[in-house]
Amino acid sequence: MDAIPAIRVVDLRKNFGALEVLRGVSFDVHRGSVVSMIGASGSGKSTLLRCINRLETPSAGEVFIDGEPMGGPVTANGERKERPLSDINRMRRDLGMVFQQFNLWPHMTVIGNVIEAPLRVRRMKRKAAIALAEECLARVHLSEKGTEYPARLSGGQMQRVAIARALAMQPKAMLFDEPTSSLDPELTDEVLTVMRELAADGTTMIVVTHEMAFARDASDRVLFLHNGQIEEEGPPDQVFGAPKSERCRQFLSKKLQ
Amino acid sequence: MSEALVDALNPALFWEYRQVLLRGLAFNAYVFFSAATVALIVGLAAALLRVNRAWPFRWIGTLHVEVFRNAPDYIMVIWVHFVLPLLLGKLIGQRVEFSPFASAVIALGFVYSGYFAETFRAGIQSIPQGHLDAGRACGMAESTILWRIILPQVVRRMLPEAVNQFVSLFKATTIVSLIAVPDLMYQVSMVTQQEMRPLPLYTGAAVTYFAVIYVVAGSVRGLSERWRNKIYA
Ligand SMILES: Nc1ncnc2c1ncn2[C@@H]1O[C@H](COP(=O)(O)OP(=O)(O)O)[C@@H](O)[C@H]1O
Ligand SMILES: [Mg+2]
Repeated sequence: MDAIPAIRVVDLRKNFGALEVLRGVSFDVHRGSVVSMIGASGSGKSTLLRCINRLETPSAGEVFIDGEPMGGPVTANGERKERPLSDINRMRRDLGMVFQQFNLWPHMTVIGNVIEAPLRVRRMKRKAAIALAEECLARVHLSEKGTEYPARLSGGQMQRVAIARALAMQPKAMLFDEPTSSLDPELTDEVLTVMRELAADGTTMIVVTHEMAFARDASDRVLFLHNGQIEEEGPPDQVFGAPKSERCRQFLSKKLQ
Repeated sequence: MSEALVDALNPALFWEYRQVLLRGLAFNAYVFFSAATVALIVGLAAALLRVNRAWPFRWIGTLHVEVFRNAPDYIMVIWVHFVLPLLLGKLIGQRVEFSPFASAVIALGFVYSGYFAETFRAGIQSIPQGHLDAGRACGMAESTILWRIILPQVVRRMLPEAVNQFVSLFKATTIVSLIAVPDLMYQVSMVTQQEMRPLPLYTGAAVTYFAVIYVVAGSVRGLSERWRNKIYA
């Protein structure tokens, strides 16, 4: 096992005004592993993911991507040097994110959505970007939809395009924020199948989800977040089979009944 | 039918002077495109100020919108042509003069920038935050997000309203004859003075403006609807 985790979160805290949303969260995500994050609505799961790629600025604590601190290096005299946005943007390339609401760009075709960041951020040549995008669309089983506009796709298809768009940046890790929560039940499987395939391919992933079956059999570790803290953590067998925390047990029994 | 009425509707005189009048109309188009360019650029800048996080910027943007939306274009044209050069002249200690064309473009451009700023602002604020988050999550710079994600959607959303504003702006170009910009109305009044027969000329001018606006605005609306339908299916 390698020493440097793909993502290391250290004592992360986030306040919105007086509201303490994250209250000291620490965990590691090793290369090629899948971490599922479960917890009640409002427990801070989205905020945690958004702090990892700095869509929110943490109030305290640090996130390391491949050992590099997102918040900026600490100088010899112990002060942190804040990174400029251009630096943060460079680090964000390594973290693909998939949102609950898909957030496809509606004025671009499917292929346009997927090549946009490789073209504008990685500065790839158009031909290479299109070849890459076709590869990514194949991975989410949407090769034939390249020329469609998002408005003409089903929710499940839109979410798979969003996954392809994130993959096209060839990130070191993928962050999923409840990717199936706004889908009709009959469309969740096509998205979960793609995610299982990514996991099997060795993609490093953090998945916030209410799909207990996925958390149980597709992930290496499960975190249960409660009130901005990790209340329970372990391999899925342990968290689902013998949770130590009473709250986690209650949460799971509600979810699994 | 009375003779006066026949005369008022008789296009013969208008036809006789068609070359002069067409040149006038071309001047309307010239003023229109120049002023529209100013209005779009200044309007976008004001809209970006209005959605800025820092309140002094927002305040300046709001001031801009309120001043120019509430200024009658007639007065603005006169003011820019006759008063502004005096003020600027005092400021730099030199005689300043604007050509009628420049005054017309500045005045109409700024008045309409107030309207366009509001349309841009509404468009920008209607873009879901998630679209921007998706761009940022890919590592896009804020300027890339503005040009590639926000503005292309804003343009599609604001088109119907913008077409109406362009129509108003084109109509407003007729008042530049006041400061002797040689547009269609200016030519009409010149010819009128020669011929002493104003009625057919004014009818001709009215019909010409109507036809131009009706045809151009109609086609732009049609094209933009087809373009918008692709993404709002
Ligand atoms: N931008 C924000 N401003 C203020 N409060 C926020 C913001 N984002 C999230 N919150 C609050 O933080 C808490 C946790 O939210 P969130 O991270 O979305 O939880 P979860 O994803 O677990 O449902 C909620 O109480 C929410 O209202
Ligand atoms: Mg959430």
